[in-house]
Amino acid sequence: MATIEGQNTILLSRGAEAEVYIVDFFGLRAVMKKRISKKYRAKLFDEVFIRNRTRVEARVLSELYEAGLSVPSILFVDEENGVLIVEYIEGVRASESFEKFDLGKATSISRRIGGFAARMHSLGIYHGDYTLANVLLRESEVYVIDFGLSGYSSDVEEYAIDLHLMARSIKASRPLDAEVLIKAMLDEYGSHYRGDYREVLNRMKEISVRGRYIDRELRKSIMRERYIA
Amino acid sequence: MSLLNKEYELYVSVKPVGREIRVLGIESTSHTFGVGIVEYSGGKVKFLANTYSQYKPTSGGIHPRESFLHHVNNAASVLRKALELAKLGIKGVDAIAVAVGPGLGPCLRVGASLARFLSTYYGKPIAAVNHAVAHIEIGKLVSGFADPVIVYVSGGNTMILVQKNKRYRVIGETLDIPLGNLLDTFAREAGIAPPYVVEGKHAVDICAEWSREYIALPYTVKGCDLSFSGLLTAALKIVRETRGDKEKLGVVCRSLRETAFNMLVEVTERTLMLTSKNSILLVGGVASNTELRRKFEYIAEHYGVGFYGTPPEIAGDNGLMIAYTGLLHYLYGLIKEPNSVFIKQRYRLDEEEYPWLP
Repeated sequence: MATIEGQNTILLSRGAEAEVYIVDFFGLRAVMKKRISKKYRAKLFDEVFIRNRTRVEARVLSELYEAGLSVPSILFVDEENGVLIVEYIEGVRASESFEKFDLGKATSISRRIGGFAARMHSLGIYHGDYTLANVLLRESEVYVIDFGLSGYSSDVEEYAIDLHLMARSIKASRPLDAEVLIKAMLDEYGSHYRGDYREVLNRMKEISVRGRYIDRELRKSIMRERYIA
Repeated sequence: MSLLNKEYELYVSVKPVGREIRVLGIESTSHTFGVGIVEYSGGKVKFLANTYSQYKPTSGGIHPRESFLHHVNNAASVLRKALELAKLGIKGVDAIAVAVGPGLGPCLRVGASLARFLSTYYGKPIAAVNHAVAHIEIGKLVSGFADPVIVYVSGGNTMILVQKNKRYRVIGETLDIPLGNLLDTFAREAGIAPPYVVEGKHAVDICAEWSREYIALPYTVKGCDLSFSGLLTAALKIVRETRGDKEKLGVVCRSLRETAFNMLVEVTERTLMLTSKNSILLVGGVASNTELRRKFEYIAEHYGVGFYGTPPEIAGDNGLMIAYTGLLHYLYGLIKEPNSVFIKQRYRLDEEEYPWLP
């Protein structure tokens, strides 16, 4: 730790859960994510929390990288201290640039986002915070970062949540083209996902009406499809 | 500490009104039948009365019919007490406000009927208020925070919100049961309630004092949304296995509370980073929980932002918040005819625009 926190360390962002630095890792430009201990949590919870999340994030990243998906490669892991060092990817966050693109480019990015999700889910992995803020664009390449809330699951619920969050994020960024963009994402997802695509799609619909005090008839009609289909 | 007769600066600017305006608010969405009266003059809001009667089940949870009967039996006396406290006759009131939802249908009908009657008989304009909006509005008034990250936790709601373009925007919410419901249901099923609250302390908090230890329970955060149902099931499963052991029940209560609160605080933190607001406002029935407040005080200090949790007097359901929100409706001309006021059991607070919001 001491050797890393020395010179050439720039604070990139301070998130809710972790501090992210740009560091010099044996001559390589790298990103260090350090999970912060929280005083409001009981000590036991804090330790387990930091250790588990760091471990899962590292595992998921390495597995996705090995499968050839566009994620940063892992350079160093320290579970006890909640430190993860990954490759630095030069690019812009999609949340900052997505609304400025012409429709053609935005559609192509949406498609790639869908394809990424499909291949990730086919490996039994979900992201947990799949939004435009966690998509990096380097020229025409789409990288996905921040697997802090990711995990392993074979439950379509988790996959549907990923798609639901991304759809909501796209809607917030480009409300006028949202329909076209989300369709592009889902179409691409459908052609790459190895499981039953319709099941994920139905669950996604169901999630969107799950909040409290949603119109009862609307919810009923959508929930019913789950049993009829 | 009483909030009555204190003056609060109205944070929105409205056209000056030459005289005093008094609004009477009726709350009857769930277990509480409450009446509150506020007075507005010269840009300041004063609380004149806040009276209520609460339905307390002797076994099980809230039975809508029993709660309804309780409201019917107590409505007149609660109303009379409020007017006495404010030293007013009903003629001295300028408008009637009523919570029309979200809530239990039978209970809502009591408040709505009373409001329609008062409005028709005495010729007063009526304001149909969203109960959830009222919780937040009174919190904003008393805290003085105009644009905070809002955490609304009660028996019927768990939401993290901000205000944008004249609307409340839900950043995150529970996907299944609300936080208050989690605590109540657990307490009931574990056999430590009713009574759910004794001297301001929830049964789960009392039980948590029986132990100092923790066990790991399911922690479910999805983006900024929360899910408590898995946590409830897991905790109850352990309780069933350790039936009768006070110490072990204490461990479960402590861990359940810790896990649920940590989840809520985590999404609040994330919202704070996402929106860069400079204050946190905790409202709703669970806002009076001291352990939850302690956790929020920590993060407020950590991020250098303001924190305010509404005091028990106005944290739980009350008529005052309805009266105050009714006043906002009145000042912005959102008043209705009595024959167009209907209850709405499922009434989301992000359905409508509110002109006083930033």
